[in-house]
Amino acid sequence: MLMTIGEFEYLLLTAAARLGEEAYGAAIRQEIQGATKRRCSIGALYTTLDRLETKGLLKTWMGDATPQRGGRAKRMVRVTAKGIQAATDFYNTVTRVSRGVTWEANRRMVGP
Amino acid sequence: MTPMRRLVDIVSRVLEPDEREAVHGDFAESGETSGRALRGLLGLALRRQTALWRNWRPWLALLGAVAPFGILLSLVSKRMAQSSAVTSWLYLNNWDWTYVRNTGFRLDFAHDVAVVLFEFLLLSCWSWTSGFVLGYLSRRAIWINGALFCLVLVTVDLLGMPRFLGRSLLLSRADTFSANAAVFAGAFYREVFPLIVHTVLVLLPSLWGMRQGLRLAALPLPLQTMLWASLALAMTTLAMQNSVWWQVRTWNNQPPQLPHLPYLAPLAVIGPLGYILATTIGRRFVRR
Repeated sequence: MLMTIGEFEYLLLTAAARLGEEAYGAAIRQEIQGATKRRCSIGALYTTLDRLETKGLLKTWMGDATPQRGGRAKRMVRVTAKGIQAATDFYNTVTRVSRGVTWEANRRMVGP
Repeated sequence: MTPMRRLVDIVSRVLEPDEREAVHGDFAESGETSGRALRGLLGLALRRQTALWRNWRPWLALLGAVAPFGILLSLVSKRMAQSSAVTSWLYLNNWDWTYVRNTGFRLDFAHDVAVVLFEFLLLSCWSWTSGFVLGYLSRRAIWINGALFCLVLVTVDLLGMPRFLGRSLLLSRADTFSANAAVFAGAFYREVFPLIVHTVLVLLPSLWGMRQGLRLAALPLPLQTMLWASLALAMTTLAMQNSVWWQVRTWNNQPPQLPHLPYLAPLAVIGPLGYILATTIGRRFVRR
């Protein structure tokens, strides 16, 4: 069954997939902020993580504590196969629907 | 620790322990300022609390426990504080050691002290039970329901009940009885004593009960049934305190033909006290 996701959910899944083994709260937040040039609130991040976990699109667990985090543990994240499928579907939909529109053509001219 | 950082710590208690740990770590790692951390935390706490209210339990606690128990406890606390103020005034302000030689006085004194102590114990148990039920039903929404409960307790205690409601509940108050005017002429018995009773025997046990209700682990079914039955009994006796029967009995009016209700209040302390003792002894046993 096709699992529909929203824009922010897609951003979060993509950031987590890109970070791979190093995907956890703060790193994902930084990745999203870097890509969107917008502030990502911790509230939005953690509630979306929960929602995606409930949908079975990712899995989270408490990782190790590090000194740079003041000895606090990380909430580690891994995208599940179902999550990869949902993100792929979202990406394909955006790509399909964008075909032939002005900004799509501009993007090709401007660069990758 | 700066006051702002302390505030961040306090707000973060709304979160589950694992989430609190991760969020604090994220703040430390990204070097978030206290102001931004607080804003972020408030946003997260708000989202979490909003999500909790999609469940029926916090609503049941709010509508079924916060207002009714809060109002009843405040009224009963006021009444008990005033009746014990009269007893206390009678003995403390009129004490004479020569009375002690009199057997009748000694018996009366022992009886009155026992009544006051039992009433205080009963009030604490009701308060603890109200908090316990509230904590159990609300779970993480206790931050809102608990604050509202305390607000009801404080408001009713400080501002009193609206006159029409006070009359409809037929609440008798010792300070409205002219024979007690001397007791309540002074500010101590009129204002301070009820406030002490309200704080020590209502507010604190309620908060303690909320804490224990939140932590209630899964109990075997027979124990669970016993616990809830005794808590239901405690709440029933609390509700009965403001009934018309109580009014008739207290004021020694010639009672009309009303059904005789058994005085169940002594049984109301069994459940809460039993649970408190069992958990305290159990915890000590586990520590050893």
